[in-house]
Amino acid sequence: MSSTGLPSQRSSALSLLRRKNVLAGLLFIVVAAIGLWASRDYPIGTATRMGTGYVPRLLCWILLALGVLVFLQGLVRNAVTLEPSPPIRRAIILVPASLLAFALAIGPLGVVVAIVLLVVVGAFAGKDSRPVEVVAAAVVLIVLTLVIFVWGIGLPIPVWPDP
Amino acid sequence: MGDFVGNIMLGFGVALTPINLGFAFVGCLVGTLVGVLPGIGPVATVAMLLPLTFYLEPLSGLIMLAGIFYGAQYGGSTTAILVNMPGETSSVVTCIDGHQMARNGRAGAALTVAALGSFFAGTVATLLIALFSPPLARIGQSFGAPEYFSLMVLGLIAAVVLAHGSITKAVAMVLLGLLLGLVGTDGQTGGARFTFGAIILSDGIGFVPLAIGVFGLGEVIANLISPQHRRDLLTSKVSNMWLTRDEFRQSWPAVLRGTAIGSVLGVLPGGGATLSAFAGYVLEKKVARDPSRFGKGAIEGVAGPESANNAGAQTSFIPMLTLGIPGNAVMALMIGALTIHGIQPGPQVMTERPTLFWGMVASMWIGNLMLVVINLPLIGMWVQLLKVPYRMLYLAILLFCAIGVYTLNNNAFEVILTAVFGVLGYVLIRLECEPAPMLLGFILGPLMEENLRRAMRISSGDPMIFVERPISLGLLIAAGLLLLVVALPAIRGKREEVFKEG
Repeated sequence: MSSTGLPSQRSSALSLLRRKNVLAGLLFIVVAAIGLWASRDYPIGTATRMGTGYVPRLLCWILLALGVLVFLQGLVRNAVTLEPSPPIRRAIILVPASLLAFALAIGPLGVVVAIVLLVVVGAFAGKDSRPVEVVAAAVVLIVLTLVIFVWGIGLPIPVWPDP
Repeated sequence: MGDFVGNIMLGFGVALTPINLGFAFVGCLVGTLVGVLPGIGPVATVAMLLPLTFYLEPLSGLIMLAGIFYGAQYGGSTTAILVNMPGETSSVVTCIDGHQMARNGRAGAALTVAALGSFFAGTVATLLIALFSPPLARIGQSFGAPEYFSLMVLGLIAAVVLAHGSITKAVAMVLLGLLLGLVGTDGQTGGARFTFGAIILSDGIGFVPLAIGVFGLGEVIANLISPQHRRDLLTSKVSNMWLTRDEFRQSWPAVLRGTAIGSVLGVLPGGGATLSAFAGYVLEKKVARDPSRFGKGAIEGVAGPESANNAGAQTSFIPMLTLGIPGNAVMALMIGALTIHGIQPGPQVMTERPTLFWGMVASMWIGNLMLVVINLPLIGMWVQLLKVPYRMLYLAILLFCAIGVYTLNNNAFEVILTAVFGVLGYVLIRLECEPAPMLLGFILGPLMEENLRRAMRISSGDPMIFVERPISLGLLIAAGLLLLVVALPAIRGKREEVFKEG
């Protein structure tokens, strides 16, 4: 990934947020904070007999410190800014959505319906999907799945909707 | 020496059974198939196909998995040479001269030298594994909890040092992985950690959803959002696979150098194929009488790094097999696979399950031989495969991710988890946080905690135990030196130079 700096940009708070290290630092800080909050009641124990919370809390504190460090580096150093946002961002929603559809469908509706859902939802994530190809892909993938996983390895996957 | 021959014979005895030969072949074939496809690297390939191997005997499963790994590794080079698009990071440098050779009409020679160089490197590396594993495992067996803990610290630090980009970020990624590894029930106290009240998380996060999500789905999202460079497939027929006399004269020393540097770098924690390939390319450029030929189709620029990455890929098995310490993300997956097969990786594997260990070593050499057979004559088939447009390919990748995770435990929740990690993977790519150290941390997290606890119990809570034991102290000093060395400006410049070479 090549990153192009935007030198002419004013260093307003908003443009600072476009810096990769600022964002990465924030990510680490947020994760560490959530971890510290979630582990607030875990018994820590002693060094000899470590409780449930000893190692997790230790790691969270270190992560917090590193997150602050990365954040500060992002503020101070010559910034590597995020590439300008690409025009098509729906993949970030639709790709996970296609797996979600598959996951929710496979139990009650069977693997055939689940694949159709995955392929159709997934197809919308790309920018140049063609209907004929999507149908062809779905058919090929259904056949492959049935041949390899259901008949080949003999996995107990539900194939058709539960009556 | 008699031991050595006996072990090798034992290995070939089990690896050469028709059924295991078959699994090695299928593994290499499927691995190459997926590896040739651009936009899906060996980590994602191995993670995606991992569940397929869980239904086999442990040895057959591991043989197939190793085959998938070499295949994926090798397939990436084919893509690099023919399409100028690295199938994976370890073949980034192969693009430079390999694709130029293809443009000069020498695609056949580039593919041949890559295949034969890799085979030679693989043969040497397999011998090294057979020679050095027993003594290393003996050392490993003398390790107690403090030594193991320090060894893992060294392994994680080395992985960080060899990662691209910011070291602080890489350390933070290790921490993130360690924390993710802790999710679930604490084995010692029975307390729930980071489950947020969800019973479904009490068994912890599986490494398959994590690896497939971050490495597989994350890549797909990234590719869809910002399509990579134009594909530049050379449609002209690949003909004339033979090297000319000159090409042969230029390439064999490069193969030797690449094999040597790759074998050494592969053993290092954090090393492996990618680092070896980069180092191999830099070395070739340094020793060349006329460095200006590089970038214009110098055959050494293919022979050196291709041998190096195969040697490195292979010798990175040494620390994993003998000490149970993964040096890179693929080895972390192998550890996960062993665990699912009920084998606790570590020095005891060699003594307790000699057929498994030596069978796997023997199958490595067989796998390398098969790759030559699969790749050279079948090159036309792989070229056809490269013509499948990405808009159809990614649908298949999505399905294999979903079904691979689902069939693992027939658990739909893990598929949802994979989707979540896919988003995380994309975010990490955007923020230039390398995910490989996270996967290492994730795999080593529980082991490290266990050894830390054990060590502290031995010392009744005195952390000095880690510096009072000489081996442990040595390992920690090595880790400290590594960190110190990369912090030095001069070395840091060099490190960036090596990674920028692509």
